Amino acid sequence: MLRTENPKRPASLDELLDSRLISRVSRLDVTSRKMFSGKLKGERRSKKRGESVEFADHRPYVVGDDLRHIDWNIFGRLDRLFLKLFLEEEDLCLHVVVDCSASHDCGQPNKFFFMQQAAMALGYVGLINYNRVAMTAIGVQPGQHPPTEPQTPPAGIVSAVRDLRGRRRTHELAGWLCSLRPEGGSSFGEAAKRIALSRRGKGVMVVMSDFFFKEGYETGLRLLMGRGYDVFCLQVLSPQELEPDLAGDLRLRDVEDADAAEITVSAPLLKRYKANLAAYCDQLRTFCARRDITLLTVRSDTPIDVLLLDYMRRRGVLR
Amino acid sequence: MTWLTPLVAAVAAAIAVPSLIILYFLKLRRREVEVSTTLLWKKAVQDLQANAPFQRLRRNILLLLQLLVLAAALVAVGQPELEGQTPRGLQHVILIDRSASMSSLDGEGGVSRLDAAKREAVRLVDSLRGESLIGSDRADEAMVIAFDQTAEVRQQFTGDKGALRAAINAIEPTAAPSSLDEAVRLARAHLPDQTLVEETGAVTVEGLKTRGVAIHLFSDGRLPDAQRVLTGVEDKVRFTRFGTPDAANVAVIAFRAERTYDNPTELTVFIGLQSTDRVERRAELELVIDGVVERIRPVTLPPATTDAPTLEDGTPPPPDLWRPGTASVVFRLERAEGGLFAVRLLPGDGADVLEVDNRAWLVVPPARQLSVALVTEGSLFLVSALQGLPLAKLVEYTPDEYLAASRRGETGAYDAVVLDAWLPPPGDRPTMPPGRYLVLGAVPPPPLGAGDLGPGEPGVLIDWRRDHPALRGLVLDNVVISTTRNVEFGPESAVTVIAESDRGPAILDIASADLRAVVVTFNPADSYWPFYVSFPVFIAQALNYLGQDPSHLGLDARSVRPGSVLTDRLPQGAGGVAIRLPDRTEVSLTPAADGRIVYGPVRQAGVHEVTWSGERTPADLEAGGRALRPFAASLLDPEESDVGAASTLSLAGDDVAALDPSRSNVNRRLWPWLLLAALGVMMLEWFVYNRKVQI
Repeated sequence: MLRTENPKRPASLDELLDSRLISRVSRLDVTSRKMFSGKLKGERRSKKRGESVEFADHRPYVVGDDLRHIDWNIFGRLDRLFLKLFLEEEDLCLHVVVDCSASHDCGQPNKFFFMQQAAMALGYVGLINYNRVAMTAIGVQPGQHPPTEPQTPPAGIVSAVRDLRGRRRTHELAGWLCSLRPEGGSSFGEAAKRIALSRRGKGVMVVMSDFFFKEGYETGLRLLMGRGYDVFCLQVLSPQELEPDLAGDLRLRDVEDADAAEITVSAPLLKRYKANLAAYCDQLRTFCARRDITLLTVRSDTPIDVLLLDYMRRRGVLR
Repeated sequence: MTWLTPLVAAVAAAIAVPSLIILYFLKLRRREVEVSTTLLWKKAVQDLQANAPFQRLRRNILLLLQLLVLAAALVAVGQPELEGQTPRGLQHVILIDRSASMSSLDGEGGVSRLDAAKREAVRLVDSLRGESLIGSDRADEAMVIAFDQTAEVRQQFTGDKGALRAAINAIEPTAAPSSLDEAVRLARAHLPDQTLVEETGAVTVEGLKTRGVAIHLFSDGRLPDAQRVLTGVEDKVRFTRFGTPDAANVAVIAFRAERTYDNPTELTVFIGLQSTDRVERRAELELVIDGVVERIRPVTLPPATTDAPTLEDGTPPPPDLWRPGTASVVFRLERAEGGLFAVRLLPGDGADVLEVDNRAWLVVPPARQLSVALVTEGSLFLVSALQGLPLAKLVEYTPDEYLAASRRGETGAYDAVVLDAWLPPPGDRPTMPPGRYLVLGAVPPPPLGAGDLGPGEPGVLIDWRRDHPALRGLVLDNVVISTTRNVEFGPESAVTVIAESDRGPAILDIASADLRAVVVTFNPADSYWPFYVSFPVFIAQALNYLGQDPSHLGLDARSVRPGSVLTDRLPQGAGGVAIRLPDRTEVSLTPAADGRIVYGPVRQAGVHEVTWSGERTPADLEAGGRALRPFAASLLDPEESDVGAASTLSLAGDDVAALDPSRSNVNRRLWPWLLLAALGVMMLEWFVYNRKVQI
């Protein structure tokens, strides 16, 4: 809940992902409940007939078909042109969206560090399975102006990496994650719009945030869903947010917009706060369930391997 | 309801209440913390406020409680009091009657009137205004006087309630009758002199007493001398009455013993009894001599009577108008020896609220006849008159023989010496040697006697004191004196003229510490007196009067009334003198040089025994090798035994109506209760606050 004093800022891959975790997640792969058409030939079976080694069907040749796919054996036997169809194997896009607003620099353990670790682990799983991995850091960083130059990231997005594939891009991904700083506010709706408009392929999208957006999360999630992503929401809450350890007469200041709330901590107030938190999370869960979004709410003190190997596997994000 | 310091409370309220409210207007200084989001908190606060139906009140309940605490404290600062009947701003004199009637056990729960009075007096002391918490008001001051027949200051004026309570609780009942006059005089004498504050400074004026005291009298109203009590004009007298008006009591009110003159062994004992009961009472009377019950006689005590008519509605006349019924009992005994007589009235099955007056004691001396020495040159009349008297011993001396016997120390054995126209030489003393003398035809010289101016004209006795023991019942107006004597004496001399002729004093009574003499200034031989029957009767009565020395003779000599002082004379050289009181406590006494002892005032009824080591007179007893002389102290007071509590007290100035203790309410201070309430509300406030902030 409170801003973390001296939060841990990882500088390298080792700090994000230790070798023990690497060995444990190496067996995992990203799955999707949907079948998407990929961009590149990949390791993923596609709905499309394609050029893999797995036979799928024959169909009569029509003009324009690739002559390379004609089954010459059948032509020899039947003197008719048939095309030999194979199952298409395509790559999967794994898009990890990390909320980079200042509100994540809170809690003990730090929520943002937890998200960095989770994003790295997921990204690693994606990379080693030859999925196309993209990551976007959303938020409104202080001093960020509306985009005037093409290379400036659009509003609501801090920075992004895309089209990473293969194990050797791991360090690049880690470097990008380590460069993120949780600062400023958030504009989830704007960011979601930008991400949706970028049409970076279809695939699995993992949104990591606390989903405490004052403007609401509904628009953003709706936009992301509309583009056909298999959206998976990871709501990260610090233990202090779940069980506040405040006392006395306090003036609470929102780290993002400096909004102030004066409270006198009392038993009814805490009770009311917890009820509100439960209702908020429940609302989010209902919203997600209606839209076929998988929601996973975790505490920031959850071990990363438990998150990946247990929680996310059970929910079908990984296998 | 009165306020002792309302101004202070108002000023304090004017400061404190706005201050408290301003404190609530001040913004709370809150600790600032950064949180991830205020979203849920704001909603929670809004929910909380929206859900509380009395949220405004709820928010301010602490303020309300604090205002309550403050209000209680401020009212306490004002020192409110529920006003009773205790006057304010005066000096209080607490007079507590401890006389015999206050021992009556007719209070609630069988407590004595004195105990109830003490309790009520302590209540009064508690209600006195203490030193003001704030402000310059002085504490009420009070003084405690316990009185019976005499009054005693038990505590001087003080505001120290502990000392006052202790003084009141230390008052013990006595068996003495009561006298209010001395108590009030004593109280007024102890009032501090008034201080006049003038521009030049404070001046204490002697004799100008503080104006107006509150006199609180705690008594049953049996105060015979109340009519004489004069209180100050501004004094407030409050009389709290104890006891019931129609209390029934039977009492012994008289106890005397007499021996007949011609047969001293015949002893007549008179006992007077009294009953205040309104019905006839049957009782038993015990006569105890030296601890042995000698006689028991049933007696019937008539009921109390009244002349006042019964009212139409059947209520009897007020208790003050009833006269107690009286009865008397006479015992005749053949008893030559003396003894300690006690009488005890057994009240039977009726009520009897006072125990102390059911008993009386009397020390009866043994029957004895006088030893008389006659010093004469030969007087036929005198010798014949003396020989006719029932004397134990009569010795006739000539002056020379008497002087010789005196030098041998033999004359001390005579109860009286009759000197016929002769006086012993004074020796080294200015007047006669100590002793008891009947002097005829001579005048002892001054300073104890009178100056003899020689023979005078013939005269006639014209006036004499008929109440004098020596002249009682005599008719002397036919005594013609051929030669009177002219005498003169100063106004300060010990001489009392008991008979006068037309020429001057004729018979004198001289009484001093060690000399008593009846002096007939003329020589009876020069008059007609010896021819009249009054002459031998005078001789007999005069000898009896002289021989009846109250220090060791006489029936009433050893009786003392409680409340008065016991005085007596012990033989010279008595040492280790002590008096044993009826409750068996012993008090040592120091006799004066001439053997005189003083003890008192006597507080208890019963036998007081004076013991000493050394010589004793024949009348004294002996116990454990020490001489013992008993004294009987008995109440024997019809007024005190009439125990019905008075409904009004008639003082010289005005009548004071009695207050019943149950109805005499005293001032009640409220500030301790208010402070207690403030404390209680403060605890409630603390509880509410904790309930609010508890997590």
